[in-house]
Amino acid sequence: MSASLEAYLARLYLDRDARAAFVADPGGAARRAGLNEAEVATLEHVDRVGLELTARSLAAKRAQRTVRRSWLRRLLARWRWRS
Amino acid sequence: MSRVDRVGLGWRPELAAGILAHVDAIDVVEVIADDYVAAGLRDLRALRTLGTQVPVLLHGVGLGLASAAPVETRRLDGLARVIGAVEPEAWSEHLAFVRGGGRELGHLAAPPRSEATLAGLAANVARARAVVGTAPALENVATLIDPPGSERAEPVWLAEVPAVTGCDLLLDLHNLHANAVNFGFDARAALRDLPLARVRQVHLAGGAWITARSGERRVLDDHRHDVPEAVFELLGELAALAPAPLTVILERDGDYPTFARLLEELERARAALSRGRMQAAA
Repeated sequence: MSASLEAYLARLYLDRDARAAFVADPGGAARRAGLNEAEVATLEHVDRVGLELTARSLAAKRAQRTVRRSWLRRLLARWRWRS
Repeated sequence: MSRVDRVGLGWRPELAAGILAHVDAIDVVEVIADDYVAAGLRDLRALRTLGTQVPVLLHGVGLGLASAAPVETRRLDGLARVIGAVEPEAWSEHLAFVRGGGRELGHLAAPPRSEATLAGLAANVARARAVVGTAPALENVATLIDPPGSERAEPVWLAEVPAVTGCDLLLDLHNLHANAVNFGFDARAALRDLPLARVRQVHLAGGAWITARSGERRVLDDHRHDVPEAVFELLGELAALAPAPLTVILERDGDYPTFARLLEELERARAALSRGRMQAAA
């Protein structure tokens, strides 16, 4: 895998608009992102269900981490206030 | 590593009190290394002290070793500091990429199972070994997507990892199970295709079905559910086939059950190991 394909996958997993443009026209979107023809061919046959679920799962993980961080921050703030 | 099979738990703040209260029933704990990269000396000393009560393994989640991009030196330096301070029995990381083009995924992503990824992985492991001083065990990851750009089936690709990196495998049996369910291969057959002499560490976890807009369902490895029976069966099978002692870690990352329930799962893991070892001896 080239670093550029890796970067594009990261974008597809994280960016809803980029994902929508890709699903509408996988080959065109991948070419516009500067990927080579072998990578474009790979992405034209991407597992679309997997793409949708991966994006959803990553978004849920990030949301969980935000909640956890907020909880920890409140706990730390309370501890500092008391000490 | 140990000369006998062992069973333990992933260290999480929510489980700490239970672990310390039941240390006689827990052979080993695995601590997320990344949680301590920014830690002060006091926290690192506390972790080292924990290691005097129960053997400690460190588990990394943020290096992104299975990547075409070089692993960042500052991340390796941070990990080396933790490993130097804690002196764990061993450390491990994932066969995953976790960032790309300046974007952090916030979790593990399965890389294409290709020759190019193996080359990037080998280079990154060499960097890690040079900075940290020891090599990690490398863990197979669960994936909801058939990784774009893959040239090989998962067991074939995994079998090549020890050969190109010199590292042992940390075999996550729920990840293997989830991928087998999601992509239609036989997990038991896949297990037999792996270089089991290179497996010394094992992860167990649970997951849940998630449904796409199309109605298709896949198993998500969420660490929030009990270990399914199929995974305990895989553990028994592994114990029957793997020549080396196994260190088995139960991972739980939310929706925590009672600690007694977790101890029951550890006992089920011990029973599966015993069953497999007896089968091998017969």
